[in-house]
Formats: sequence, C-alpha cells, structure tokens
Amino acid sequence: MDLINTIIDSTILNHTFQIWMSVLFTLMMLSFLFKDNPLYKLGENTFLGISLGYGWVRSWEIVVVPFLIRPIKDAYLDFQPYDLTLILWLIMGSTMFFRFSRTKAWVANYYFAFVFAYVAGYEIPVQVQNLFVQGSNMMKPLFEQPSFFEISKWFVIIFGTFSGLMYFFFSKPHKGILGKTARVGILILMINFGASFGATVMGRIALFIGRAQVIADNYTASIVLGIIISIFLFIYFKYLQKEPKLDDEQMH
Amino acid sequence: MEKLVDILKKLDRRWIFLLIFLSCIIPFWFPTLFKQEFSTSKETQRVYDIIEGLDEGDAVFIDWAFNPTLQAELLPMAEQTIKQCFDNKLRVFIYYPDLTAISLGENLVANIVKEEKYSKMERGVNYIHLGYLPISIDMMIFSMYSDFKSTFGKEGKIFKGIKTFNDIKYMMSFAGSAHPEYYLLLQRRFGFKMGAGVTAVTGPDFIPYLQTGQLDGMLFGLKGAAEYENLRLKNLNVSEEEYGKEKKLNQKANAGMASLTLSHLIMFAFIGIGNFIYFYERKYKKSN
Repeated sequence: MDLINTIIDSTILNHTFQIWMSVLFTLMMLSFLFKDNPLYKLGENTFLGISLGYGWVRSWEIVVVPFLIRPIKDAYLDFQPYDLTLILWLIMGSTMFFRFSRTKAWVANYYFAFVFAYVAGYEIPVQVQNLFVQGSNMMKPLFEQPSFFEISKWFVIIFGTFSGLMYFFFSKPHKGILGKTARVGILILMINFGASFGATVMGRIALFIGRAQVIADNYTASIVLGIIISIFLFIYFKYLQKEPKLDDEQMH
Repeated sequence: MEKLVDILKKLDRRWIFLLIFLSCIIPFWFPTLFKQEFSTSKETQRVYDIIEGLDEGDAVFIDWAFNPTLQAELLPMAEQTIKQCFDNKLRVFIYYPDLTAISLGENLVANIVKEEKYSKMERGVNYIHLGYLPISIDMMIFSMYSDFKSTFGKEGKIFKGIKTFNDIKYMMSFAGSAHPEYYLLLQRRFGFKMGAGVTAVTGPDFIPYLQTGQLDGMLFGLKGAAEYENLRLKNLNVSEEEYGKEKKLNQKANAGMASLTLSHLIMFAFIGIGNFIYFYERKYKKSN
C-alpha cells in the first residue's frame, strides 16, 4: 500500500507532473485544429473517461452514501416509521433499471411520472410569478422613468417584441404595414442574434485564454511537448496514416 | 488586386487559428506592451457596493454552479467575491449544484486562506462548504424552508441565526448556464438580494432580469471579473508595498484582458477582409 501511495505522490499528485500533463493535454486537444489525429482522440477519450469516473465516485461519496446508505444503516440500529420513505425512494429509483428491458420498461414510467409531476408542480406557479414580475415591470408609468434612455428602452422593448412576433405571423401575406413591421422584426432579431453571437465568441475566446495562460506560464513544458507533438504529427500524417486522405471540407 | 483577393479567399483557416493563438499567448509574455485601462460597468459596481454595504456577520450565499471548464471566466469572479466577503467579515456559505465543482471551490478557498491577510478565516466559522444537492431537486428543498444545517448535515458556529434563505442577506450565483434563474424563482418567496456572475455566452440572457431589478448586479464574462478585481484593488486602504502584493495576487482576469482585446482585433480584421472580398466580388461580377 505504501508503495502505491509513494507512486501516486510522485506522479499524479506531483506538481510538476500535473503541470506537464495539463500542458500536454491542452496541446493534444489543440492539435485537432491542424487535423483530426490519434493524439486528439486520446485526449478526448481520456477526458471523457476521467470525467465519468470522477463523477461516479463523487456522486457515490456525496449523494448515495450520506443520503441513502448511512440513513439506512442508522435505521437498522434505531428504526423510526419515517425511515420507510428511504426504502420507498430506493425502490422507486431502482425501477430506472427496468429501462434495460424492452418488455418491462413501462415500470420505470411511474418514477418518471412522479418526478415530472413533482417538478411541474413546483415550477409552474413560480414561473408564472416570474412572468408577472417581468410583465409588471413593463407597466410602470412611462414618463416617470428616470432618464430619456430608460424611456427609449421601453419603446424598443415593446415595439421590438411586437414586430419580432409579427415576423412569425403567417396568417396574412407580409405586405403593407404588416410587411414593414415584419421587416423591423427581422432586423431586431438579427441584432439580437448578432449580440448573442458576439458574446459567445467573446466567451469562447475567454475560455481559450485560460488555456493559453497555462501554455504561456509553463513555456519549457510547452516548447518541449509542442516539438514532440509536432514530430509525432509529421510522422503520423507522412508515414502512418492508413485511411484514404480526406480534404479539409470532408474532414469538418 | 484580383490576385490578392484570390489569395485571401483561399487562405487556409489554420493560419487564422494560428494568429488567434498567437494573439492570445503573446500578451502573457510581454504584459508591459499591452497595458490597458477600462471603465467599470454599472452592474459590476452594484455587486461591489451591495457586498460592501452589508453589516459584519451578515450571511452571503454563493452558488458555485460551474466546473473547471468555465474557470477561466468565473473563478476570478468567485475569488474576488469571497475575498470581499472576508474583508467585510461576512459569513460565506458555498453551495455546489455540480459534482465536479466541489474540489474547484475547496481548492480556491484553501488557497485564499493560505494568504496572510485571510489566514484567520476558519472553516465552519467564517465560511462553509455546504456541499452538493442534485440540480433542480435543490430548488424544491430550498423552497420548502429546509434548514441548511440538517439538509447538508453540517455543523458550525457559522449557522448561528442562519436557517433558510430567509436569513441570507445576499446571494451570488456563478454559472455558465441558466442556473441563476432558479434562484430568481426562489427570490419571490424569500426576498433576498441577488447578483450573478455569468459567462459572456449566457450573459445576454440575464439582462432582462437586471431591467426588472430581480438581479441587483451582474459580473459579465472575463471583463466583469477584471472590473471587479480593479474595483477591489482601487478601494484597498493599504500601504504601497501591501498594494503591490495584493495586485500580484488579484490580477488573474486582468492578465487575460490584453489577450481578449488583441484576439478581437484580429477577428475584426478578418471579418473586415471577408466583407471586403464579398463586396469586391459582387461588384466585379456585376461589371463583367
């Protein structure tokens, strides 16, 4: 056991090892930008495997043991009538396994029905409340708003929403006033999509910057591993790749 | 001209990837070349002011709904919020609706507590990691006025006078999804003030909640995090030497801002080039 602990301490838990691994996997994933390759696949599958394994172990430790196993053990020592609910939920949850059977899959539906009903019962009233809050905010006296900007914002929201809805109104041909309103609607929608797309690009770049910082801060590891990965990719694409070569358009 | 247009049209996209890569990485190597200053948005200022205005011992609930994949944007925000709470001697309750977030949060707080300034902060007294509840079930449990202590099976002085969301003075939700919206639904029941720290991708979805006043403030993406860092640094009452130390420790988001600007400039340039080629070709085809 001590030997295993020593090995773990000097590998997985070693700071230098962690940094090199972090840089290595970052570069492996980025290698996809050049072309699909085995290093990328290895990185992708490692990430998936580790995430699933880690998630499973953590959910066992954090959810199953404290919320089910430990209370059942306690119930065994000192039984109280409400402990029966634990058994009920265990049985209800276990019905999910019936999904593996084609003929008995319906058993799991009772559990799903319960969960959906429970969630709907909670969500619907509070969502309606939320809609009222959103709606009532639009009903404040217009000219009592603190600034001209607030007043103009109100107009944009009301007429923007209305014209946006008119774009999806297909019961009449888009001609005349309806046509013009729909035209304004599509412009409003496009501005919205543009803003969302811009924010998405900014967000993605920000995420990449996190990785770029790892590469920049650990330049020795980045340079060494970068050279090794480049050599591997060169050898792979030049000599080892067996599949028929696809051009870029087919690749992506 | 036609040759140039033809070259640009056939430009391999990998050159663009390389340029973006370099634009992100170069500012980290030459930070002095890319110094920049930016204003603080109203939403960030609000978050800062509200936390600053809380009384000693008030409870702040932090919803840590992000995992390591979003840490570049959200971790600096969470760090600054926790530090500001510690500065003001507030009680911090950290809740994780994501399993993979727990170690991230625990590591961050452990690192904060290692700093000399926060070395007296005790787990169970000044802060507590409440733990995990499965997402969406958590909201039902909270909405039923469940006691934090018994729900999460935790103990500590920190729980004195704090039972449910009724006793929470301010709540910050850090997420890269629609998760803060669930707390807006709880807010109707408990009436706590609420702010959100969100990624740039999900940020636009929360703007209506700012307009209605349901959200009191918002930290938006990496820029929001950088603004928050600057706000905290600006309002520190410490000696110059101390300020230098603090600046070193609290510049994680600011470090990425130059990269963000440079990469955006490159994108603008390529969008411009793309549009130029489109209009040039249209004109060229028309004239032929």
